[in-house]
Amino acid sequence: MNTALQGWGIWLALFGACIGTYLCRAIGVLLSGKINQDSPIFEWLSAVTYAMVAALTVRMIILPFGLLATVPMYLRIGLCGLCLAIMLSNPHKQLVPALLTGTLLMMTYGLIF
Amino acid sequence: MGITARIYNLAMTAAAPPPLPPKAFLVPNSAELDGKGPQRYTSRKHAFWSGFRHAAGAPAMVLFAGMVGFGAMAKTNNIDMWFTSLSSLLMFALPGQVVLLDMVLSGSSVVAIILAVTLTSTRFVTMTVTLFPQLHPRDRNRKLYASVHLLAMTAWAVSMREFQAIESHHRLHYYLGLGILCWAISFPATILGYLLAGLVPKWIALGLVFINPLFFLLTFTEVKATINRVAIILGGVLGPCFYLLDRDSSLLVSGVVAGTVAYLIDRQFLRRRFKDQSS
Repeated sequence: MNTALQGWGIWLALFGACIGTYLCRAIGVLLSGKINQDSPIFEWLSAVTYAMVAALTVRMIILPFGLLATVPMYLRIGLCGLCLAIMLSNPHKQLVPALLTGTLLMMTYGLIF
Repeated sequence: MGITARIYNLAMTAAAPPPLPPKAFLVPNSAELDGKGPQRYTSRKHAFWSGFRHAAGAPAMVLFAGMVGFGAMAKTNNIDMWFTSLSSLLMFALPGQVVLLDMVLSGSSVVAIILAVTLTSTRFVTMTVTLFPQLHPRDRNRKLYASVHLLAMTAWAVSMREFQAIESHHRLHYYLGLGILCWAISFPATILGYLLAGLVPKWIALGLVFINPLFFLLTFTEVKATINRVAIILGGVLGPCFYLLDRDSSLLVSGVVAGTVAYLIDRQFLRRRFKDQSS
């Protein structure tokens, strides 16, 4: 794996990646001017976006790369379940307590093992 | 027109078919529709600083952790510091940045890298398209081409939730306050992570990488519309499956498939049942 891109190649890749990412945002602005909030297309696109974000999130939890992959899967899923339970049992839907519980428990795991 | 007269009018028009379909994110007789009555913010400045303060909680924490983690990851792989931090400033899309780093390290071709990163960024198209139509028509002008760069998953998730309770002419400034803080911290956070890499013990690093997916998972509990809830569940199930089939296109494919199925389910079953009950 010592074939990493060298020299100007990586800067060209960065430049292209920035342009590509901004282009997606700009296309969104262009299209948003033509779409009405009440139209069925808007509903469909919302559903597609939420599904995409959910797919990315679950992928990051179930199939992570790097450090998180060293934590057993049942523990990752169990912690997420616990945090969801804290969030849902909280009448004011405060995000920070659930978020901190999960993060601190994950740190505790890292400290012990 | 007094409030009682207005309520009377609403009651009268409720019997006849309404001239316009109700707004998707507004309660039909809320004060926002009139543009009068109690508002959440007194001025655009007020809305801006409120967004800024909201960003200073969980969203900033999540972005900060994500960017520090990204910086540390680049350092441990001997990638140039400016390459790493500029990607945070100019791309401002963590999943895309991780793909970029990953492919640079594995020596993919420049064209393949650009295509893969752009593909993971396609979510911004639909994010923008779902967020910006909620802004006041006066704010929907060319300046949005600059504002859109501040859009990331964090700002989007918070805005989608809060916009429902904000009068439309203050939404842009709330979003700007939120986005500017998130964007501004990403660059120093990346550099910090780069400089601290190797110094941070493993258990802290573990917390930093876990906070990101956890935040998004928790924001899903605040999604109200049934169609979007169905989409989230389907997307969560299909996402890893498509990822195992093909990494680069998996987000787009699972989003379109799960979103479309959710839309059809909503059309075919949920909405019809709702109509039957109300008639």
